[in-house]
Amino acid sequence: MAERVPLNKKERAELVAYLDGELKGAAAQKVETQLTLNPEARAEAEALKRTWELLDFLPRAEPSTEFTQRTVSQIVSVRAMAKGAATVPARRPWLLGAGWAAAVLLAVTAGFTGTRLLTPTQPGEQELVRDLRIIENKRLYELVEDMDFLRQLDTPDLFGDEAAGS
Amino acid sequence: MTAIGETSAQLALRDPDIRLMLRVRADEPGAFEELVSRFQQRLVAVMHHLVGNLEEAEDLAQEVFLRVYRARKKYRPRSKFATWLFTIANNLALNSLRAKQRKPVAQLRLSDSGSLGPRPAEQLVRDPGSGPMQRIQKEELAALIRQALDGLNERQRMAVVLNKFEDMNYAEIAEVMNLTVKAVKSLLSRARMNLRDILAPYVYMDGQPPARTAEEET
Repeated sequence: MAERVPLNKKERAELVAYLDGELKGAAAQKVETQLTLNPEARAEAEALKRTWELLDFLPRAEPSTEFTQRTVSQIVSVRAMAKGAATVPARRPWLLGAGWAAAVLLAVTAGFTGTRLLTPTQPGEQELVRDLRIIENKRLYELVEDMDFLRQLDTPDLFGDEAAGS
Repeated sequence: MTAIGETSAQLALRDPDIRLMLRVRADEPGAFEELVSRFQQRLVAVMHHLVGNLEEAEDLAQEVFLRVYRARKKYRPRSKFATWLFTIANNLALNSLRAKQRKPVAQLRLSDSGSLGPRPAEQLVRDPGSGPMQRIQKEELAALIRQALDGLNERQRMAVVLNKFEDMNYAEIAEVMNLTVKAVKSLLSRARMNLRDILAPYVYMDGQPPARTAEEET
């Protein structure tokens, strides 16, 4: 008399894998031997197969006729969003604000520095007085042939008001 | 189009769905629409088995296709296209199910079988030929089976649906669900045992159970 031996958890898993065609070689042979010798194993296998077949009674859902069109029309929105994302980063608004602030600060600093470098600074009063003397004596200075004589011209002891006036 | 590797090329040669997806990647006009047409029925059907509602199933399926479209430039064929597609579907479906926190249904008892009465198997045997009755019984049976499937947890349900309705083997299911093959084997075993326990009263509704041998009777 064949003995009805309940299957343990591992044996059940092997039986299900066997029914799904997942077992090969020795593993498959082991289950086949069990099915031959154990009526309980055969009853389990039969019940599992039948239960699996019951799932065929579930109706197979059909998508609506406009599903494809509706889905394809969505990618127009996806494309528009992608274009927008390319110009304006949208993911982290706080980062955007910080970035703009940094950019403005940098621009102001660069502008200030550039302006200072490129724009001639206004001369002070002393410089203006000195330049005025040069301008007033320009006609004379043009006759100067060397720098030593020119420097001497700047010496009040040698060329004071009398030199500027003549 | 950026170059793809040799392995990907071999996969593309074998799988027409990969070739279609590469056309989508290249933004070929009409390719995406063709992809949707090719897979919509399978995807909606799988989602419907998981969530039980057609409108929601369509919404989820649509989201899967949109994600495929958004990811198209990064697509690199490493396995069957359907495996990649259903990986996205699996992630979306599981997130949706967990968000809804569908509660498992209590195990059905014979007295809970509704209009079929306490002994549905006998009822069917008594009225095997009547058309409308048969249709109603089939619908009620489908509802019972639907409830049994809902009684599984999300991962068991996903594994059952992929194995039964998409004909995926354990390795493919493992890839879709990001599990080991051993884990899938255990998952399916538990799922099928649970289904068997819940649906045991209805297993032989289409006929008599197999006769027990004299040996088995003793």
